Amino acid sequence: MKISIRHLTKAFPSRVKKGAPVIAVNDMNIEIPSGKLIGLLGPSGCGKSTTLFMLSGLESPTSGQILFDEQDVTTLAPERRGIGLVFQNYSLYPHMTVEQNIMFPLTNMRIPKIEAKAKALDAARLVQIEDLLARKPSELSGGQQQRVAIARALVKMPNVLLLDEPLSNLDARLRLQTREEIKRIQRETGITTVFVTHDQEEAMSICDIMVVMKLGFVQQIGEPQAIYDDPANLFVANFLGTPPINIFKGRIENGQAYIGDEAIRAVELEDQEIFVGIRPEGFIYDPEGALTLDVDHIEVMGRDKSVVSRHTSSTKPTVRSIIDSDVKLPADSGVMKFNVKPNKVFLFNANEERIL
Amino acid sequence: MAKKKHGTEEAEKLEPAENGAEAGRKDTKPSAGQKIKNAFVKSWHKVRDWFVGAGRTVKGWFVKKKPAEEEVGPDGMRTILPNYNLTKKERFFRFCRSQSGWLFVLPAVILLCIFTLYPIGNAFVRAFMENYTPMNKRHPYDGWGFENFVRVLKGDTGMGGANFLQCLLNTFTITIISVPVSILLALLIAVALNSIKRVQKAYQTILFLPYLTNALAMGAVFATFFQIIGTRTEINEGVANLGLINDILGWFKIPPVDWLNPNMHAWGSGTVKFYWASYLAVIIYEVWSGLPFKILILFSALQSVNKQYYDAARIDGASRSKILWKITAPLISPMLSYLFITGIMGGMKQYSAIVGLFGPQMGMDYNMGTMVGYIYQYIDKGQTGYAFAGSLLLFLIIMAITGISNLVSRKRVTYT
Repeated sequence: MKISIRHLTKAFPSRVKKGAPVIAVNDMNIEIPSGKLIGLLGPSGCGKSTTLFMLSGLESPTSGQILFDEQDVTTLAPERRGIGLVFQNYSLYPHMTVEQNIMFPLTNMRIPKIEAKAKALDAARLVQIEDLLARKPSELSGGQQQRVAIARALVKMPNVLLLDEPLSNLDARLRLQTREEIKRIQRETGITTVFVTHDQEEAMSICDIMVVMKLGFVQQIGEPQAIYDDPANLFVANFLGTPPINIFKGRIENGQAYIGDEAIRAVELEDQEIFVGIRPEGFIYDPEGALTLDVDHIEVMGRDKSVVSRHTSSTKPTVRSIIDSDVKLPADSGVMKFNVKPNKVFLFNANEERIL
Repeated sequence: MAKKKHGTEEAEKLEPAENGAEAGRKDTKPSAGQKIKNAFVKSWHKVRDWFVGAGRTVKGWFVKKKPAEEEVGPDGMRTILPNYNLTKKERFFRFCRSQSGWLFVLPAVILLCIFTLYPIGNAFVRAFMENYTPMNKRHPYDGWGFENFVRVLKGDTGMGGANFLQCLLNTFTITIISVPVSILLALLIAVALNSIKRVQKAYQTILFLPYLTNALAMGAVFATFFQIIGTRTEINEGVANLGLINDILGWFKIPPVDWLNPNMHAWGSGTVKFYWASYLAVIIYEVWSGLPFKILILFSALQSVNKQYYDAARIDGASRSKILWKITAPLISPMLSYLFITGIMGGMKQYSAIVGLFGPQMGMDYNMGTMVGYIYQYIDKGQTGYAFAGSLLLFLIIMAITGISNLVSRKRVTYT
């Protein structure tokens, strides 16, 4: 099912008397094509969960429209939208068995019990918990509970599946496994899925389309690789990628971008103050390179090494660059010269932090 | 003391010899004196093991000299095993210290024994004394037997007054109806209270006020609601005070009901009678007076329920009543079962409501009496034997009901 979000705004009344309302989501416009996995990504408090709850109908928007396949569902009650929602802490009913939990949405639809049981078993098979049906949620591990929650959301064959930080309660290893699982289930069912996360790695790895948000505003929408390769502004560039991008203060003079006194790249732009962002993998060791870094120490990680260095123009205390482990560095520390890959360097306007 | 010590030392010396004796038992039989000695030593060891709390897991007799050991688990955790290689003095002090908790509960235990356990035990014993008259010091009772119980159950006490079965029926009817009704009402009110936002605190206070009121005072107020003051002719002439409830019924052209005079409304026949009008008055009173506490308990239980369950249920398309019965009620089922069990127990012991509504005679000559009312009646009349028998029966009945409701709730209640 195609989802269109048009001028969606949510304002919460201020806690203080006569204070300005808190705007959680500000004039959001997204078109979500059918059958895709969409990630809403942003730091906490950016309005991604509010957006999800507005899609589910648990929160009503202050203004704007939500359309499912051209049908306006903005004021429709949650149970009539045909959605499945997986909560962050799963919210499995503790007094019901796994089977009863999965069957609960079906009993509300007045489906005969035998049919409901068969459907519940199908949903359980899809998430591979068919042998746990008789257990209570308290007798399951976190990962199993999460599968039950997904099965409960999927059993009524929703048009849209909404996942609210579904992996945040799982340990690191299980998280990797489960996110592949979610991707598989989404592919098998072909249900349009919206997925909220603050973990950029998680979002990048499984999303078809990623929506980066900050303080209620959508920063950028696109495929994960496209956003990584071409961030719209400094925030997006900073938010994506581990280790994070290195930001330097710089300027443009006479068609050259400078960090300090060193020319990095030729550009066809007028003279101005800029921020220069260089991805960690964008550094090449070169004795004749353009950029001079004062290397503090080198962390060996096997496949490659992480060079931690300092630079007076850097906005962060250290500059981190990833170098292939085959490259021989002259010493463990000291001043070294590096070249940069042009496609890994981004220039941002210093005032608006917009990409140039 | 010295003698005893000597004895134990000897016993310790005996132990290896004992093994030897066992090995060569066929050849040389131990003498009778030795047998007695061995038996004494063995029993002493048993007592010692029991006190020290050790050696019970060890097969055979107490292992005496065992060095402190370290056990290394599969995960590399080191556990130091308890050392039994202690002197007797050390063992004694350790034992004393481990049992010192008793000292702290001693005051409570003493008071409990004097004022609760002794009277209960005493009542159990006296219930079996026939014709027990405490004033007659020389001949307080005729003998032992079940006479009291038989007479109580037959209603053949020769004192007039309430029938035991009548009181049992009264108590049962009132309890069985008022407890579920009040829990149901309390649940609905608590859910309503939980869903409002603005003046929640004010409502909460108002709803809790009846709890602070004395039961007898409330009974007196209810009596004025239900009481008809005036003779039959005055009622017919329309000059009598019919009470608040009858006045309200009068607006709907319903003839006045004599709520508090059960004999006027005999329903059925035989010694056991139903008095629905009077029961209704008591039930209304009971439900009303029981509500505040139940509302408070259920309201606080509701507040602790995670709101996300309701969101999940809404997404799943559950109706409001389905959310209440399939989600909310099971989630607070521990509190519901607690209220049910304590409600039944309190209901079986009710007394003050009846006295408040019907006066100390509990209707016409105790015929609206409850079980506790029945017991008090015989204490009042000096026939304590019947009172003891009655209270023993009440005890058994309450225990049986509590047991049954416990069994039922174990299946139904989920603790999360």
